[in-house]
Amino acid sequence: MSAPGIEETRPPGPRRSRTEVGERGATVLSRKVLEKIAGQVVKDETFAGGSSGGFLGIGARGDLSARPRTEVELAGNVASLKVQVGLPYPVPLRQAADALRGRMSDRITELTGVEVRQVDVTVSWLMPDRSDDGRRRLQ
Amino acid sequence: MRQHPGTANRVWLAILGLVCLAAGIWALLLASGTLGPAEDPVLSGPPEAVTGPDYAPVAALAAGLLLGLLGLWWILAQIPRSLTAGPFRLQEDAARGITVCDPSVLAAAVQHETEHIPGVVGATALLRGSADEPDLTVKVTVNARADIRAVVDQIQGTVAPHLASALETPLHSLGIQIEASNKPGLAGSTVSSTGTVVY
Repeated sequence: MSAPGIEETRPPGPRRSRTEVGERGATVLSRKVLEKIAGQVVKDETFAGGSSGGFLGIGARGDLSARPRTEVELAGNVASLKVQVGLPYPVPLRQAADALRGRMSDRITELTGVEVRQVDVTVSWLMPDRSDDGRRRLQ
Repeated sequence: MRQHPGTANRVWLAILGLVCLAAGIWALLLASGTLGPAEDPVLSGPPEAVTGPDYAPVAALAAGLLLGLLGLWWILAQIPRSLTAGPFRLQEDAARGITVCDPSVLAAAVQHETEHIPGVVGATALLRGSADEPDLTVKVTVNARADIRAVVDQIQGTVAPHLASALETPLHSLGIQIEASNKPGLAGSTVSSTGTVVY
């Protein structure tokens, strides 16, 4: 039934089983990697921020474009997170924490396959709106 | 904004008053002869006999030290201290996680907003109570150019509502303490220009 000159293609074979995939190797994520992914998600995809500058944590200042400090506790494929963030002020803190928690849970599970069960949020600084301080900013 | 040891003072003064009252009653009974003949000397015998057994001086020394330490503690307790609240636990859902914010973080934001009010040269904010019933006290230093009515209005109309919206609950109480100073304003060292440059 095929057109002349065109070789009949072989039907696709059955997909390799999971066992074969397992035999080819495994991907292991370090806890530190998860912490960095979590921090990056907060930095890139939420309105929260971390701290930048300073030396050994002394003299650090709040920076909404910095990656916040995160700690991950793993139990099998389930992670509990602790994150220290700074938020703009004034925002409803409970709603902001809920949004942050939801975003972190979804994205970390999506990116790594690790189920996020708890996210403890510590608000370590608040940045008041400084639109009237006379300084120009790059947009 | 400061905590004074009023309760401790009242308790200790009551205890000292009772001790003095008991000593006075004992002296009165002694003088009236109710407790015995008044002719006997108060201290009789050699000085060694007065101190009694060997452990008596040590016990007296320990009691003196104890009283000294109590006196020192009482003096140190007279130093006024700021009464701050513990960390505000905004959410305590064990399944999803907790949310914590230190009152000093919120107070710093309040302080920053207050310092940007025209005429204000300094501000100190203190947050007490709990996350559901916050008490805010703001100490504001203004200079001669300040319109105090406008400063109070702006704290009540802008600064306090911002804090209430951040905590998602109305403030339980708001205290404003205003001081005057001759210092120039701290905020407003730069201004954005909207003028047109003509070449």
